[in-house]
Amino acid sequence: MPWESPVGLDAEVAQLRRGDLDALAGLLARYQNRLYRYLLRLVRDPATAEDLFQQTWLRVAERIRQFDSRRSFDAWLFAVARNLAIDHLRRSAPESLDEETPSGATAAAELRSAEPPAIETVLARERAGRLAAAMTDLPVIYRDVLTLRFEEEMKLEEIAVVLEAPLSTVKTRLRRSLDTLRRMLETRYPGEDWR
Amino acid sequence: MSEHETIRELLSLAAAGALDAADEQRVGRHLRGCAACTAEFEQLQGLANSLRRLPTPQPPAPLLERTRARVEWRLAEEAENRWNHRVLVFLILFAWTLTLASWPVVRLMSSGLLGWFDPGFGRTWLSLAVYTALLWLTGGVAAATLALRRRRERRIA
Repeated sequence: MPWESPVGLDAEVAQLRRGDLDALAGLLARYQNRLYRYLLRLVRDPATAEDLFQQTWLRVAERIRQFDSRRSFDAWLFAVARNLAIDHLRRSAPESLDEETPSGATAAAELRSAEPPAIETVLARERAGRLAAAMTDLPVIYRDVLTLRFEEEMKLEEIAVVLEAPLSTVKTRLRRSLDTLRRMLETRYPGEDWR
Repeated sequence: MSEHETIRELLSLAAAGALDAADEQRVGRHLRGCAACTAEFEQLQGLANSLRRLPTPQPPAPLLERTRARVEWRLAEEAENRWNHRVLVFLILFAWTLTLASWPVVRLMSSGLLGWFDPGFGRTWLSLAVYTALLWLTGGVAAATLALRRRRERRIA
């Protein structure tokens, strides 16, 4: 199935395939925030996310000739990043990738910023902090699908490529992750209205 | 399972915009007549919207430069390895060609001398083997010396 690419992306990918490193700079700038955010959501540690970010681009540079240009580059790139992150998580926490962890400090710390403290901003930030902390405590397979769907705004078919899973599995994970997150928030902050 | 329960199962996917058109219409019809499901759907939809609006953590500024430098280094290293490999293949082919092409000349020039000493080199195959071994030994020593020197230079750089 052909994928729609943002303007200029195809050209940059084609240039990189020819070994043009200027194209790499363009792609890095294009994906820096999204890729770093995705990796941070998966591994929860900024230093590890940075290292995996670098490894991802090394892998991309090495394997760009294997990329089928009729497919979505986003999905391919995020699949490369995901495989590296999952390998890292397997090595660092081999007991279970689904195990929940109690800490939400890392993601919450990432949300701190120097914006003016208007009351709406403070409330919104608090709410976002609660949500990010709850998300941090979800199992990695749920964080994975939530960030791809809602933050990366990927189509279900693209998510299926990234996860290397059938569409039905993507839907099941998406439903379970949203339900789990909602239950977690209801338990932690009873009465909070998320509408 | 009742229609109400079936629809409740679909609410999360509806909030995530992940239903097909038929299921979406089915959920829409049910929501018009069910206050409980409507409230739950709105909560899920609010949650989905909040997830979309989560602040994006910014990567540290030097990360891009570091990444680019690392990738460039690796690609340069790979290009050098490919070049070295091609040079090695060329040298091997060249050395064999040279060996085989120069053998008749060597044989012609030394046959009288070898015949005078007659140390067992009179047999052609043995002479060729010794000659080839000496050439390759010389080439091997030269290649190893160059490789060691190059490694030292790279370590210093």
